[in-house]
Amino acid sequence: MTDTELRPEQPLLRRGDRPYGLVALILFQCFCTAFFIYDVTSDLEEGLTSLFHMFPELAATAGLVLGVSFEMRALAGLLRRQARMEQSLGVASGALNDVMEGYFRQWGLTPSEQDVATFTIKGCSIADIAELRGSAEGTVKTHLNAIYRKAGVQGRGQLVSVLIEDLMGGPLVGAGKAAAQR
Amino acid sequence: MQKIKVWDPVVRLFHWSLVVAFAANAFYTKPGRDLHQWVGYIVAGLIALRLVWGLVGTRHARFADFLPSPRAALGQLRDMATGRRRIHAGHSPLGALMIYNLLLTMAGLAATGYAMTTVAFFGVEWVEELHEALVVWAEVSIVAHVLAVVVESRRLGINLPKSMVTGYKTLP
Repeated sequence: MTDTELRPEQPLLRRGDRPYGLVALILFQCFCTAFFIYDVTSDLEEGLTSLFHMFPELAATAGLVLGVSFEMRALAGLLRRQARMEQSLGVASGALNDVMEGYFRQWGLTPSEQDVATFTIKGCSIADIAELRGSAEGTVKTHLNAIYRKAGVQGRGQLVSVLIEDLMGGPLVGAGKAAAQR
Repeated sequence: MQKIKVWDPVVRLFHWSLVVAFAANAFYTKPGRDLHQWVGYIVAGLIALRLVWGLVGTRHARFADFLPSPRAALGQLRDMATGRRRIHAGHSPLGALMIYNLLLTMAGLAATGYAMTTVAFFGVEWVEELHEALVVWAEVSIVAHVLAVVVESRRLGINLPKSMVTGYKTLP
């Protein structure tokens, strides 16, 4: 059985995939935005400021800016997800990843807290996490306190329990996925 | 606190000379005048100097130290998305891409600018339009460059503009 058959729930990005296409799209749309802004400002300088002329251009610019910001959020999400997947190992990583992602969102963890939480769940020590993330141990402790507070747990053991409980309560990973595919 | 030497005097002098020269030609000198052309020659000379220095210069000045790498650039984006702090002594991967973009743009500006002084291309419309488009592209790139420097300085806790003045990066 191949890797992808075990984790069909991740069509967007697999371990090792790199979202160059999305990055290229973001760059292209940034270019388009810059072009429109330049066009609008040069129109203003030339005095071509009829509302009918300006409105579509401004609307298109606003649409592009919205699109770019949405894509940047999506890219950040993809990169975070990929970082998590590369931290976790083994067959269960797909299912565990989904459970973790759900809880992280529910608790409202910041990107840094999500990263620290994943390392903690994996069993890394505070010193290890500080080393891996290039931050001070004090910073990691601050992140951990925030994670435990937001999750409403006492410490690492309880944090892991929350996830394990969810995994045990759910359908068997392999069987559930195989049934869904048929 | 750790202080590391990253930018040699040639790199720093190149950087700030280019800032002054580009700003002078973009906002101060009049196109077509002698002064504009002379500043343009200075820009061409600076680019040529930097290209040579990229081959024979000090460690972080060499192109070999910051070859363009989409993979590394994506790694840096991931660091930003996950709030990890990985310090690059010389140019960061995204920074390197901007350096190449700016070098190419400035070279294009100098080339089209020079072409307009030649008999073959004098008054040719597309050369003029390309020159003007490159000016806009350079301005957009410079704004992006400055914003990125501010964002990265805050993220990493390193005063990057200061390092381009003193030559040293102070790691927290």
